[in-house]
Amino acid sequence: MNISFCGMCRSPVKPAWPSRMKRREFLWEGGGLAAALWLPAGPAISAPVVEVAMAGRADGSRVWFDPMGVLIRPGQTVRWTNTDKGNSHSATAYAPENFDHPRRIPDGAKPFSSDYLLPGETFEVTLTVAGVYDYFCIPHELSGMVGRIVVAKPGQTDFRPYPDDDLDQVILDGFPPIAVILAKGEIHPEEQ
Amino acid sequence: MTRFPATVAALSCLAASAAFAAGPSDAVAVNPPKAPYQKVGDLVALPDFLPGIGELFVDPATLPAGPFVAYDHDGRLVSTIYMIPISQMNADTSFDNLPAPGGDVDHVDIYYNAGHPGVEEPHEHIVLWHVPVAGEASVAK
Repeated sequence: MNISFCGMCRSPVKPAWPSRMKRREFLWEGGGLAAALWLPAGPAISAPVVEVAMAGRADGSRVWFDPMGVLIRPGQTVRWTNTDKGNSHSATAYAPENFDHPRRIPDGAKPFSSDYLLPGETFEVTLTVAGVYDYFCIPHELSGMVGRIVVAKPGQTDFRPYPDDDLDQVILDGFPPIAVILAKGEIHPEEQ
Repeated sequence: MTRFPATVAALSCLAASAAFAAGPSDAVAVNPPKAPYQKVGDLVALPDFLPGIGELFVDPATLPAGPFVAYDHDGRLVSTIYMIPISQMNADTSFDNLPAPGGDVDHVDIYYNAGHPGVEEPHEHIVLWHVPVAGEASVAK
């Protein structure tokens, strides 16, 4: 093949949290830590528009959202841009309205979906209801291309994780833990 | 008397070359290929030209496996591609007698793809290149 790779793109994209730790255990421990310290940070929370890239390797072997987890305030806008030159992506909220998926957005929140975005195209949505928004990429959900947005008022930490909803493990593994998002503000795919 | 063996030898060479050097079928020889092939970019939400692959066509009835045929910017047939879902690579599924319309194969690439519109699940790309390795540059971008 004559596809060029940058050094960063050659390796698998791995979750940025400890993969060996039991996920639920980490959620609770991390949640307690975040509640105790409450250190929300990251550039997204102060940006007028929070940017999320839809990205992938040149040969399509890996795809991801970057950041894959982000903390914002109610009323902030999130904008997705397809930066992948050889693929289409979507940002589609988990909700029955979207391909009969389980609802994984807050009560009262309106489901969103960008539909397919070709390279260079963008989609944005303003999230006003506090809570956890899980979303997926239509053609890449089964490859674990999912993301999570936590919309939190200042000091708000009382978020509960959603049930597994019979989702494939590769999908569940793609959601950064809520506590880590609260603590770090942004979670990026880890390249190795 | 020497002409007969020489003629036989020449015909044998021609036959051998015909057997081992097959060009693409008329249906796919030039861009666009004939029906039932259709441009993938017209069937699903994908760019018309895919970096690393080229301008891609497929008979929708053959999805997901294909064959897909790909052309470079000059309309030259560069590869035939099969896309096999990982979920169907098991003891109970086989893909038999897939057409191979592209003619001579210079080399083969096999690699994982996370999915894309049209084949929206992880799958393998099996690429029969009809051009030398250096010719892949013609579809790099």
